Amino acid sequence: MNYDLVICGVGGQGVLSIAWVIDHAAHEAGLHFKQSEVHGMAQRGGAVSACVRLSDRPVASDLIAQGSASLILSVEPLEALRYTQMLRPDGWIVTDITPMVNIPDYPPGEKLYPVLFSVPHLVVLDATQLAKKAGNLKAQNMVALGAAARLLPFSTESLERWITALFEAKGERIVKANLNAFRKGDAASRFGAALTEAGVPGAMVAQVTSRLQFPPHPLHADLVADWTERLQAADGADFARQLFEAGKAVKPERVAEPTTPVAA
Amino acid sequence: MSSLILLGDEAVARGAIDAGISAAYAYPGTPSTEIFQAIEDEVKARGLAVRGLWSSNEKVALEEGAGVSYCGKRAIVSMKHVGLNVAADPFMNLGVSGVHGGLVIVVADDPGMHSSQNEQDSRCFADFAMVPCLEPADQQQCYNFTREAFELSERFQTPVLLRLVTRLAHSRSQVALAEPRAQNPASYVEDPARFTLIPVNARRAYAKLVAKQPALQAASEESALNPLTLRDDRPGSRPGLLVSGLAWNYLTEAMSEEQLAGFHLLRIGQYPLPMGKIRRLLDASSEVFVIEEGYPCIERLIGGNGLLNGLLGEKRIRGKLNGDLPRVGELGPDDIRRCFGLQVPASLQIPGLAEVLSGRPPSLCDKCPHTDAYAAIKEVLAGLTTADGEPVRVMGDIGCYSLGYLPPHQAIHSCLCMGSSIGMAIGAAHAGMTPSLCVIGDGTFTHTGMQPLLDAVSEDTPITVFILDNSIIAMTGGQPTMATDEEVVNLVAGLGVAREHIRIIEPTVHKMARNVEVIREEIAHPGLSVVVARRACVTYAKEIKLLREVKEQREQRSEGQPGCAGHGVPA
Repeated sequence: MNYDLVICGVGGQGVLSIAWVIDHAAHEAGLHFKQSEVHGMAQRGGAVSACVRLSDRPVASDLIAQGSASLILSVEPLEALRYTQMLRPDGWIVTDITPMVNIPDYPPGEKLYPVLFSVPHLVVLDATQLAKKAGNLKAQNMVALGAAARLLPFSTESLERWITALFEAKGERIVKANLNAFRKGDAASRFGAALTEAGVPGAMVAQVTSRLQFPPHPLHADLVADWTERLQAADGADFARQLFEAGKAVKPERVAEPTTPVAA
Repeated sequence: MSSLILLGDEAVARGAIDAGISAAYAYPGTPSTEIFQAIEDEVKARGLAVRGLWSSNEKVALEEGAGVSYCGKRAIVSMKHVGLNVAADPFMNLGVSGVHGGLVIVVADDPGMHSSQNEQDSRCFADFAMVPCLEPADQQQCYNFTREAFELSERFQTPVLLRLVTRLAHSRSQVALAEPRAQNPASYVEDPARFTLIPVNARRAYAKLVAKQPALQAASEESALNPLTLRDDRPGSRPGLLVSGLAWNYLTEAMSEEQLAGFHLLRIGQYPLPMGKIRRLLDASSEVFVIEEGYPCIERLIGGNGLLNGLLGEKRIRGKLNGDLPRVGELGPDDIRRCFGLQVPASLQIPGLAEVLSGRPPSLCDKCPHTDAYAAIKEVLAGLTTADGEPVRVMGDIGCYSLGYLPPHQAIHSCLCMGSSIGMAIGAAHAGMTPSLCVIGDGTFTHTGMQPLLDAVSEDTPITVFILDNSIIAMTGGQPTMATDEEVVNLVAGLGVAREHIRIIEPTVHKMARNVEVIREEIAHPGLSVVVARRACVTYAKEIKLLREVKEQREQRSEGQPGCAGHGVPA
């Protein structure tokens, strides 16, 4: 078994905390791993990345070779696209939709999102919004990790155990918020996967999951069927686009009309 | 013992502690900073009797290490590659004097220049000083080789250089620890003559260093860190691979075991190079590929710098010099694949990616005091030209404030090396540049900025020096600075700058007008002036508060105890 992933974001977004959880889960699972990271200059609001390489055999290179990563796990949508040279053609991108605009030439949404949504294996969600709902805005990294959980070669329990260990020293409230954040990410990701499996095109799934306010957990077949039907209707693509462009949070309990989005 | 998850840097730190060091010294610099940090944390957590210091610069750090060694105890000194330039004087001379207690200098090189101004390869420095160098390839070797380095150091009475590179220093993996060794008892060097390098002694010591080389060479030949694998005994049957340090990882990533079996193999982890083993590899191989991270050190040496390459009956040497591998930048598995004509896997292609993929360079933090200092300086410079009508240039230095070169600030126009700003401003003034300005941080000022200021004092050079005092070494993650606040002013005054031309400003938005006025006055002054822009770093506010408390406690403790050392066990 070999599993390479890139974790990325902007300095201060908790990229290395995600790496810490994955490292320890790998160690606990008896896997070999190497995890290289960028320090120094990049901490000052620049792009930050960590390369994690997991294997049941000793890992050679600290760097991920071109076209070898199975997953890019990003806390920011532009950063999600920065390391695709390392991504396999059938690899996944999991990312927060919330842009971190600290550069003058940040691409406008109408240019950035269509490029991102064209990625064939994609999970995108509003990790910032979901972290806020989970009780800690800073837990957006754990939402992103949760969204990737179903793709990682570990059990959810193992990841949750190491999230607990990471935040233990900061008190029970912080641990709970981060676990909540992780679960929300996981739930949103599984809802998206269910829609994909039901035949909804990837870009539309991305538009919907980017606006979920409360990811449904546990997942109800009825709910998935409702959404699938709505999105597969003749005007389904317009519906998804309007939902996304309205830019407001949507409750998934029933199919929301884009004209009446639920306030965030 | 069970294994731990450690950075390469941290594995070196644990190796040093388990090798029985009595002291550790360092100056922070990416990617070496975490070595001392990890030692400090471990010493504090376990209450170990290991002394240590974030030294004021790398030269001092190495001299402190030399003092420990003189007393028979073990010390580790860590720095980044360009730090070894600062420490070059003691480094070269410790080769000559030799050591007493084990002394290991760990240097982290930065191929690819992730956070540095050059790609210099510390293996060349070890060769220059004629001291052994160990080059680990992974985190476990970081731990093992550190311990081995101390053994070598004491066995041959020589300092040993341990060379890391960024991708190892800043990469984590599992490391198994071994039984720790006790510290050495104090035993002062018996023959002080060898540490007293006046010519009569130095000639003897240098001859001894030269005479020591065959023994170091023999140790490399026998070393398990330099394994030679010849696949058969038919000369020229197949090509050979000569691979050092981290490059091994990229090679084994790019090639399968079956592919590797098509080559004779020599791995290098210990220098001086085992020339006997290299001779055997050359004789056995049809040609030899040299794969090394950094400079083509081995390649140049064994190919006679191109002179013997395929000539005079010698084998063809391939690598960075003939262009099979890139000469600049960091190596990677894809470079190895291209070198051997192996297929590089395809990656996901996303249409339209290039049009949206804006770069995200590092920048000064929100509310950073440097931003306001630069704004004030730029405001003054906007209305000024030099005496010969050119735009005014500002000599810069190394720290977060180096980012002042980039938009939107564009306020500095040089960044050469630590402490260079003041000397360059003096030279520019001598060359006729008026006004001549420079900017330096509090950490860099005490690192190597005080000496050039003394030069300026000696002749009252008409320059204006801005000291950006943010109370911390921020760029490398918040290490303590040697002097801040009034200490900086006292240092500057102590060096001889007139009190009336040491001006303090607080770089904030609302004090902008006042700051501009002060800067304008000091630039107009026809002699030396120093403007201290004093405001604490916003990112490391918590660390600064903690450091202030520690300092206050220490001052209270040492009251009435004039002999009390300023720094003790790392805190």
